[in-house]
Amino acid sequence: MNVRPARVEDLAGMQACNLQNLPENYTMKYYLYHALSWPQLSYVAEDHKGRIVGYILAKMEEDVTDGDEPHGHVTSISVLRSYRRLGLAKRLMVQSQEAMATVYRASYVSLHVRKSNRAALALYKDTLGFTVKEIEKKYYADGEDAYAMRLSLKHLAR
Amino acid sequence: MKGLVLTHMGRREEGLELVKKGVRLDLTSHIVWHVFGLVQKGEKNYEEALKSYTQALKFDKENMNILRDAAHLQTQLRQYDGLVETRHTLLRLRPNLRSNWLGLAVAYHLNGQSGEAKKVLDHYEVSLKNIPDYDVEHSEVLLYHVRVLEDLGELNEALNLLDVSAKSRAIIDRVAIMEFRARLLSKLSMNDDAEHTWQALIEQNPDHYSYYKGFLSNRGVDLDSITDETRPKALEVFKSFSTQLPRAAAPRRLALAIATGDDFKELAEPYLTSGLDRNIPSLFADIKSLYRDPQKLSTVASIAEAHYAHLKAQEQPSPNESEPPTTYLWTLYFLAQHYSYVGQHERALELLDEALSHTPTLPDLHMFKGRVLKRLGDPYGAARCMDEARVLDLQDRFLNTKCGKYRLRAGMNEEAQDVLSLFTKKDAPSPGADLEDMQSVLFLLEDADAYRRNGNLGMALKRYTSIQKLFSEFEDDQFDFHGYSLRKFTINIYLNMIDWAESLRSHPAYVRAAIAASQIYIRLYDDPTLASRSNSSAKMSEEEKKAKKKAKKAASKVQEDPKKPAASSNDDKGLDAGPPKDDDPDGTKLLKADDVLERAAKFLNPLVALAAENIDVWIAIYNVAIRRKKYLQAVQALNRVRALDEGHSELHFCLVHFKKTVSSLPQEPPAPIGPTVSQSISGLLPADVALDTFNSQYLQKYPGSPRASFAFARALKALDAPVEEIESTLFGLLHPEANLDIKTALDALAYLDNISSSRTDEFRQACDSRFERSTIFKAPEETIALRKQAIAPLSDVSATMNGNEDKTEVVS
Repeated sequence: MNVRPARVEDLAGMQACNLQNLPENYTMKYYLYHALSWPQLSYVAEDHKGRIVGYILAKMEEDVTDGDEPHGHVTSISVLRSYRRLGLAKRLMVQSQEAMATVYRASYVSLHVRKSNRAALALYKDTLGFTVKEIEKKYYADGEDAYAMRLSLKHLAR
Repeated sequence: MKGLVLTHMGRREEGLELVKKGVRLDLTSHIVWHVFGLVQKGEKNYEEALKSYTQALKFDKENMNILRDAAHLQTQLRQYDGLVETRHTLLRLRPNLRSNWLGLAVAYHLNGQSGEAKKVLDHYEVSLKNIPDYDVEHSEVLLYHVRVLEDLGELNEALNLLDVSAKSRAIIDRVAIMEFRARLLSKLSMNDDAEHTWQALIEQNPDHYSYYKGFLSNRGVDLDSITDETRPKALEVFKSFSTQLPRAAAPRRLALAIATGDDFKELAEPYLTSGLDRNIPSLFADIKSLYRDPQKLSTVASIAEAHYAHLKAQEQPSPNESEPPTTYLWTLYFLAQHYSYVGQHERALELLDEALSHTPTLPDLHMFKGRVLKRLGDPYGAARCMDEARVLDLQDRFLNTKCGKYRLRAGMNEEAQDVLSLFTKKDAPSPGADLEDMQSVLFLLEDADAYRRNGNLGMALKRYTSIQKLFSEFEDDQFDFHGYSLRKFTINIYLNMIDWAESLRSHPAYVRAAIAASQIYIRLYDDPTLASRSNSSAKMSEEEKKAKKKAKKAASKVQEDPKKPAASSNDDKGLDAGPPKDDDPDGTKLLKADDVLERAAKFLNPLVALAAENIDVWIAIYNVAIRRKKYLQAVQALNRVRALDEGHSELHFCLVHFKKTVSSLPQEPPAPIGPTVSQSISGLLPADVALDTFNSQYLQKYPGSPRASFAFARALKALDAPVEEIESTLFGLLHPEANLDIKTALDALAYLDNISSSRTDEFRQACDSRFERSTIFKAPEETIALRKQAIAPLSDVSATMNGNEDKTEVVS
């Protein structure tokens, strides 16, 4: 699959992929907001027909509290079930992290995952190397807790 | 002012009245015009809003807020001349504001004056002082500047600016630097430097296809049109990258696309076996585009078959040795996909059954079985397979979505929402409403199609119209970024967004919705009694009645909302008009609209420019135009179809229909239309041949084509042939040599029903026995049972495996 930076015309495909795969969904405006604020951070994987089969939608954290360092945040990442085991999630994540570190000098990247989502948790932990930073109580609209996870990007600093 | 406040409070009508009163009281006040403009902007009535702003500016020429808003409206409306003027004024008034400089450059750029944009950027950069290192915003501006230079063809200047800025770390986006640099160097024929940069890009992201394309193009090889001369060069490059980057899939896969003969076999073998051994579910989807070459198809098949035989031989004596059993499973899965693709569905099912008896818990097997059944005309069995896949992993929304989609394909709107509801918001009025809020194009389109196939044209139109609205929403979404992007300095991507917004409606979902909706509107126009028949409760099934009740309840809920909590009525509702309440829950109003053709035309209109290569679009445009008596437009549409595919069966029908329609007019349309039309007709079909003969000649020209026979039959009807003749033509489709496919069979059946043929049921039964595995041709009574089976609780196997599956709340 072709892995490349996301373009504006990919956003509809990313949205469709997200709706098909994940319970956390967003309207087009939110995708536009990501793309037009941090155009370097989102990536897509597409098949031979140009259909989006995986994506990472990422941003820089805007409210950095005192003492905290600038850091990136993964709003959403997913790969269609039928395109798993190709290492696409990892490839997408690596590209986005590089951009976070080089363009925005992010020192780490964070993300949230539902406590019950074992499959995603395993991906972030085992494949991508994230660690659980804390548990955020009732993070999701339906009252479920989230793991707040982090991965250091210090090794990418230059 | 009070009006503005009231509007913010959600009392829109009251507020608007007061605002209008204000305007009347003092036509020379910039404030009232500004307020009026704000309210209109909130209603997305950009044109009227801009008029109000223009009035306001007459009385307060230098009001920054009004000028800025006006600029945004001019951008939204693509009035770029005016935009340049407004941006000039803004810059003159506040030259110290960085975004005002950018605003003017962008305005020039949009107005096609890149040279002027460049001048503005030059001035701007000179005036800058004290830019901190690593300033992302400045970096983005410089990248925009490089783009302008590249657009102007000033490649050396572009390269120079890029290199100097990259070196001083003024541009910090490494990927962008390399992409610009590689492209510029290639264009400047500085091939050695270019090659280094392409190489660096490939190392940075070894899965980006166009980097390889750039690398090769720099060496004089066009990957999109490989010749016998360039082929070995390209293969050599891919071979070397495959060695350098052992983990990258792209060079291996790209090599497969261009290799031939023994080269192909040599490369395909390791690619396929490693894919099978690594149990990659998408392997077949990945390679099937190679099947355009029949030789590659048979090579792939023989490799996979050999692998299968090898594994099978291994499996019986000692199952624990070497290859794990999962590889065996994925090989069966791959082969099943292969056989189904080449039309050997029975073989595919055998292989799937073998795999399923080996491992019944792999959802992918059930999913693909569903797909094969769907291809065989059994949507109910297909839906059941998807349900079987779904319950194997209840946390996976992908499986859930597929199951919902297949239920819709089987015409089960209500049952689809039942299953989709496991992942939609619990507090939404209905699962469908949540999916619509979340802008699920897939759901809206599939739901619409299902209603259409079930004959519920009102609901179908309602859903297609939702898709139309969705794309208007997307168009509106750009508005806020006209200001935002200038403040963020992300100009390059902003300009890409402007282009995207222009061609939004080329999206396949919009195209499909526009065509389908226009077809319904045409049916309603041709037979106005359809409106009352289609949604009448007599014809409604139990489920549909329930759905209607539910929708009504949901709608009344929405209506209650505004007055619900008294405390919140002071909240700021903003200026944007909220979603209008649903006053047409079952689409009756759409069905009974008295301007059906105008609605169809409006839906199709954007596609004239955006889908000019799509035959179905032009056919739809013809059908609407001819009924609106827009003869020139009708001719133009047919000419377009003819240029795309002269022998297209729909074109044939339309030609007959057109000539018949025009020649039965009581008098020729007035000049210049009439003569132009007559002239065009003689260009489209022979003048000296009677239409009956023209029709028969067409049929003889395409023997064995079911679409041609179907078009011929419909043309007979247009030429007022007796119904028996039409029937016997359609029954002719059932001859073994007629190559009847399921889609044409369904179309023919629907057509017979449409013309109230007495032989409709006979045709249905014949199709039912002709397509052995199909269930789509069953009688209505049987269909009810099939639907039940498709959603019946699943066998004990899956239930025990998942424990208390009923109680599992699906959250992930």
